Amino acid sequence: MSKQSPLHFHRMKDMPSTHLLGTGTPTCAGCGGLETLHTMYDILGKKTVFVNAAGCMTLLSVYPFTPFHGGWLYTSMASAPAGAQGVRDALDILLQKKKLSADEDVEVVVITGDGTAYGMGMSATSGAMDRNLDFIYLCYDNEGYGNTGQQYSPATPHAARTSTSRGSHGYPGYKKDLFAIWAAHNPAYVATVIAAEPLDLAKKIEKIQTMSGPRMLISLAPCPTGWDYDPQLSVEIGRLAVQTGVWPLKEYCDGEVRHTKVPKQRKPVDEYLQLQGRFRHLFEPERDVEGIAEIQARVDAYWERVESE
Amino acid sequence: MFRIRFHGRGGQGMKTASRILGTAFFKAGYEVQDAPRYGAERRGAPIFAYVRADRTAINERGVIDRPDLVCVADDTLVGMPAAGVVQGMDAHTVLLINSHETAETWQQRLNTEASILILMATEDVEDRAELPYIGSRCAAAAAALTNVIERETLAEALTEELGHLPDDVIGQNRDIALRAFDDMAQHAGLVAPGGMPSASDYDRPEWIEMPFENAAISNLAIHAGATSVMVRTGLWRTMRPVINYPKCSGCAWICSTYCPDGAINVRADGYPEIDYDHCKGCLVCVAQCPPHAIESIAEHVAREQEAEASS
Repeated sequence: MSKQSPLHFHRMKDMPSTHLLGTGTPTCAGCGGLETLHTMYDILGKKTVFVNAAGCMTLLSVYPFTPFHGGWLYTSMASAPAGAQGVRDALDILLQKKKLSADEDVEVVVITGDGTAYGMGMSATSGAMDRNLDFIYLCYDNEGYGNTGQQYSPATPHAARTSTSRGSHGYPGYKKDLFAIWAAHNPAYVATVIAAEPLDLAKKIEKIQTMSGPRMLISLAPCPTGWDYDPQLSVEIGRLAVQTGVWPLKEYCDGEVRHTKVPKQRKPVDEYLQLQGRFRHLFEPERDVEGIAEIQARVDAYWERVESE
Repeated sequence: MFRIRFHGRGGQGMKTASRILGTAFFKAGYEVQDAPRYGAERRGAPIFAYVRADRTAINERGVIDRPDLVCVADDTLVGMPAAGVVQGMDAHTVLLINSHETAETWQQRLNTEASILILMATEDVEDRAELPYIGSRCAAAAAALTNVIERETLAEALTEELGHLPDDVIGQNRDIALRAFDDMAQHAGLVAPGGMPSASDYDRPEWIEMPFENAAISNLAIHAGATSVMVRTGLWRTMRPVINYPKCSGCAWICSTYCPDGAINVRADGYPEIDYDHCKGCLVCVAQCPPHAIESIAEHVAREQEAEASS
């Protein structure tokens, strides 16, 4: 497909002022995943077809309503990249047979939640990267099975309370490093993003528009319903995830990992954790000193590794 | 059979109300069904849950369309067709509304033969999505009105259904619920079980005859883009963001980018404009506006002001 565009996102003012994604979608008020999707769609534009695995975003397109201007295909949780392969192949065949002109070609975009990306959709995603499928994958990661009531997923962070980890210490496991798993496949591009840092997100979307092959994005998606906080804090919490170092913004390209926004002075993780009901047990009835220190130590260890490289 | 519907907004605890009442009926020896209506059960969006209870096996299924009692946690839902509050109400139905207005006002406004009772809002909160304890109060008031559930049975059911919450929260819910139970005691028995209509009593559904056609005709392809704008998610809003234009510095790229729904447009003059048909009231714009030029006011207050201004 034809790839385009010189870089033009330098400052917030450059963000698109018209929004292509239709309003009226049934995602929760303050949805951090929708915020990423609308920014991404504003930049990618109408020449896109979305392949959506079951999850919160399944409700985006409920016949006859859709927020998109182009096609949308719904798949089971485990098979969105396989769906994308089918769509890409069909487009390529039409192009080859000259039934579709080069400018009628569209970008194939997979959208899935973390339950799919980190868990049951991993095999199909791995296969798509093996085959060097030309597609974009957006995982909106709200760190649990949000659409069904926030059960824990392999993306749930340590100590978070979910509806299936209600004990006094929350989820005992640790968030899986999907960025590293995806990067180990050596695809064209992997990045972490967040809607609360729109410029970083916009630059990355713009960059992948000029590339082909598997382009993989993981967006942390603050979730008022699942994380239990006032929806107006969605952007604040997202920004704190970056400023505390909990959510490193980075990209993998040509065999190199590069951090795209390194917090100069990392804020203590408390600032991020204490705004969210899912971590309330770390602060009430009394402060869980050890629990918080463990989370802080893991974040610090990550950044020490980054700085020593 | 008792047929009871609870209407509220996502977050007000209507699903829990139906569970508490269902469990109370069960403990009182009834066969019970309780279920929330599955759909886009998002915070602020209109939702409902329902309970059936009978002394014998219940064979009826699906949504209740002839309610004996309709319990409404938030009176702003009554005028909203999508919420379906008044659906199927007749002279037999009791309508219990959490409202600051009188039963007479609602009687006139709705022009209904149903009996109307007011569940007076005890605590005033600005944001209707945050109404405290309303689910427990609705369940308790409903239990009292049926006159077949003992006070103690209700308390047990409530403790059981809220068991995952801290003890002090359960205690507060129980106290407030029992007060609502006692307040409604004077009307005990007003809600009576409805009869079992025979198949011939049911209204014939409004069928649309659809002969077998190929998929291109029976299941039309939608070619228009962004048709979701026809869904007015602005109805979910309990708090309204309002731009104070004299204070607005015109950095519309901030609020319009951060608005998760893309419901802030940039006008030709560069200033932002909120699309109230679709703004869900998350208030991210209020939190992010650099000169603090966006304020929030309760949606029901904003509507009253609009009504006054236009009259």
